[in-house]
Amino acid sequence: MTHPPTRPASPTGPAQAAPRRAARAAAGLLAASLLAAGCAGADTNALGGAPADAAKLTLRATTPPAQGRLDRADWLLEDEPDSLDLDRQGGSAGRVVLTNICERLYQLQPDMSVEPFLAEKARTPDDRTLVLTVRDGVTFHDGSELTAADVLWSLKRHAAKDMEQSDEFGNVSSMRRTGPRELTIRFKEPDALFTKALAGDAGIVWNPRRVTAAGKEFGTPGQADACSGPYRLKEWKSGDSLTIEAYADYWGTKPLTRRVVFRWASDSALVNALRTGAADGTYAESPNTAAALRRAKNLRQYYGPSTASLVLIPTARGGLKDPAIRRALSLSLDRKGIANSGYGGLVQPWAAPVGAGAWGYERPRFAAAQKKLGAAAPATPTADDLAEAKKLVKEAGAPDDPVVIGTDSSQGRTVVANATRAALQRIGVRAQIKTVPPAQFEEFYSDPQARDGIDVLVGDWYISKADPMGFYDNGLSDSSNNWVGFKDPAYDRLVHKALATLDDTERARLTTEAQRRFVDAAVWIPVAQVPTALVLSDRLTGPPSSQSYLYYPWAARLGARKG
Amino acid sequence: MAVRLVRRLAGVLATLLAASFVIFAAVYAAPGDPAVFLAGGRDKLTPERLAQVRAEYHLDEPLAAQYGRWLWDCLHLDLGRSFKYSDQVSDLVAARFPTTLQLVLYATVLFVVLGVGAGILAAVKRSTWVDSAVVGVTTLAASVPSFVAAIALVSFFGVRLGWFPVTGSGEGFLGTVHHLTLPALSLALGALALVSRVTRQAMVDAAASDHVAAARASGVPEREIVRRHVLRNALGPIVTMCGLVMAGMLAGTVVVETAFGLSGIGSLLVGAINTHDFPVAQAVLLLMVTGYIVVTTAVDAVHPLLDPRVKEVRS
Repeated sequence: MTHPPTRPASPTGPAQAAPRRAARAAAGLLAASLLAAGCAGADTNALGGAPADAAKLTLRATTPPAQGRLDRADWLLEDEPDSLDLDRQGGSAGRVVLTNICERLYQLQPDMSVEPFLAEKARTPDDRTLVLTVRDGVTFHDGSELTAADVLWSLKRHAAKDMEQSDEFGNVSSMRRTGPRELTIRFKEPDALFTKALAGDAGIVWNPRRVTAAGKEFGTPGQADACSGPYRLKEWKSGDSLTIEAYADYWGTKPLTRRVVFRWASDSALVNALRTGAADGTYAESPNTAAALRRAKNLRQYYGPSTASLVLIPTARGGLKDPAIRRALSLSLDRKGIANSGYGGLVQPWAAPVGAGAWGYERPRFAAAQKKLGAAAPATPTADDLAEAKKLVKEAGAPDDPVVIGTDSSQGRTVVANATRAALQRIGVRAQIKTVPPAQFEEFYSDPQARDGIDVLVGDWYISKADPMGFYDNGLSDSSNNWVGFKDPAYDRLVHKALATLDDTERARLTTEAQRRFVDAAVWIPVAQVPTALVLSDRLTGPPSSQSYLYYPWAARLGARKG
Repeated sequence: MAVRLVRRLAGVLATLLAASFVIFAAVYAAPGDPAVFLAGGRDKLTPERLAQVRAEYHLDEPLAAQYGRWLWDCLHLDLGRSFKYSDQVSDLVAARFPTTLQLVLYATVLFVVLGVGAGILAAVKRSTWVDSAVVGVTTLAASVPSFVAAIALVSFFGVRLGWFPVTGSGEGFLGTVHHLTLPALSLALGALALVSRVTRQAMVDAAASDHVAAARASGVPEREIVRRHVLRNALGPIVTMCGLVMAGMLAGTVVVETAFGLSGIGSLLVGAINTHDFPVAQAVLLLMVTGYIVVTTAVDAVHPLLDPRVKEVRS
């Protein structure tokens, strides 16, 4: 229910894992790596200038507010959007664009908290009922008024079988209009994450007339949008560019920037376009892109909280089947070394399997819990950690066969794989690395047969909701992402209880408890958190720098630095 | 004449049909499962969901049935919908083909003018330092792979000097020329040596023929000899080579497109292959094969016009 969508762009290296991105990077023909390493600017190996210090990276949710108007901003995406119908194709390039055009019932704020939005007010008369009041005075981009009927139609479309967001509605027993501006949603059991889903793609309100009129073509180039946001879709020239324009009759604050023109490029072409001023900004999906631009004089970089993380995902095969060996690996892994040599210091050693961006509430409690987990997942292992790890291996008995580490050839993953092998060897466990092409790598995540030959995957993951509980169901004994076959009835009970607990404080308590059990059993081994990186021309400012850029109208806050 | 035309057309169609089957089968034989991509997120990939997706997209049917379905649709001008983009394949290809075509045409103009020019120069100044310089420089140019040339050109003329844009394909005639100059040059460099070498050799061979010696003996001016007798007779191999190189380029633009952030069919194809977007990969490959056949057939058709001897032999 609350798993991530396919990590649309993994934060590792130029040759990405996710199929959508792999597309270009791969050009298969070693173009990616050679281009990136060459003199063209995407200098991912030398990582221009002094690398950031991973431990001291400051994460801010926003950039300084903009002061002045702007006629046009040129923005880069790492790929062309697949579609602007997020119910059918939920790629991140499309989301970065569409979040400025479409609005949701709730809104994810730059600080990753969630607030009612197109649903002006929300009531919960009991734990299984959610009553939403639809905001008055909102018009779609075709001028028609947004009604409660439109909202209901949109929710039913999201919930329809085969739609990307249908799994968010698994708990819903009924959705009805109960007043001129009122909707009532009833649940089979309390659902703590539902309103968070309404801040994501499951909460988009479509204009049914436009969607129906476009039919199968809805969301493809040449079609009008069907939303009510601060920008409207002006033009999408397939294969060339996509332009959005401020919507004159917008109900909320009008944006400072009149037009945003999106183009797409990958690797060195993206880096060069920013460096030469051909583009004004991008949300860099790979930390290495940001690293390559650290020296550029006309650009500034901002790092913000995100839910993304680098993780080692063990399988039930081979030596890492034993939790003691997994714990030993976690103790002996040099996370700081990985961050510095694989990612230019732009990722942070981390002890939990989700990034700090997931803390949409009860932040101090989650921060304290994460810190406590650091004992089992040190940034740099001390002599004591290594001694403890060796002891664990000795007690459990070192496995006979070498541990097979599955990776692709991207720079970041290669470093993680080598660090993992080094850590294992240091504690007396033999290991070998198996490198596969990006498209095949992505299949490791989904196909148990594909990962048949590996003991641990150099993985990455993010969740779409700012609630760590959106992650921990991956450890349930019946979850398809629980590859090691972790079975703990107490854990299962905790997760189910937390998912049904609407009270934030209580849910946070249950979540940190589940998290402790998950990390103790080393179901996955956390490596680092991957912040969002915003690269922006020094003339511009305003947009959020957190992962909220996927769900928040970031362009509406973009403007000139000086008035 | 009409019979020959029909025969040629039939040959082209048979080649296309065979090519289409090979392409279709090859795309299917590629490792990896499109259903994994089609099913969406990593968390949704239950075996049931995958089976359902396979059924929905007819991926569970035998290859022959799928090919038949595809061919039938193609004959009705329906190339299907992209798995990745929900758009029509024909729209996707139509939007990207002009960029690739412009790029190839521009590169062709460059390598024909520079390559043939250098070859003529080398042949005329045979065994002088000019000859050696042409051979040396073009060999050097050819030994640089196009992606290395692309990196060097973009970093020097794009990033350092700022003379040329580093991404996109530009608008209007001048804009397009401005944007495509560096990519076209990277693409053309590799062809230069080949074309100049073929030109030089064809000219040298033609110059050695008896009628040239006769013309020279009867006092025809040298310039006239080169133009009317040597170059004219050498044109056959030169045009053939230029045609082949150009046709080959239609399928080889991907590296340059990636380096310069151009959305052409080369990058569309690689993206489609990586995401197992069968309908797009098949359509683009078929288009490339068709392009190749059209160009080589055109060269074949031009041949008799250039050299009447070819016509005699054939008829």
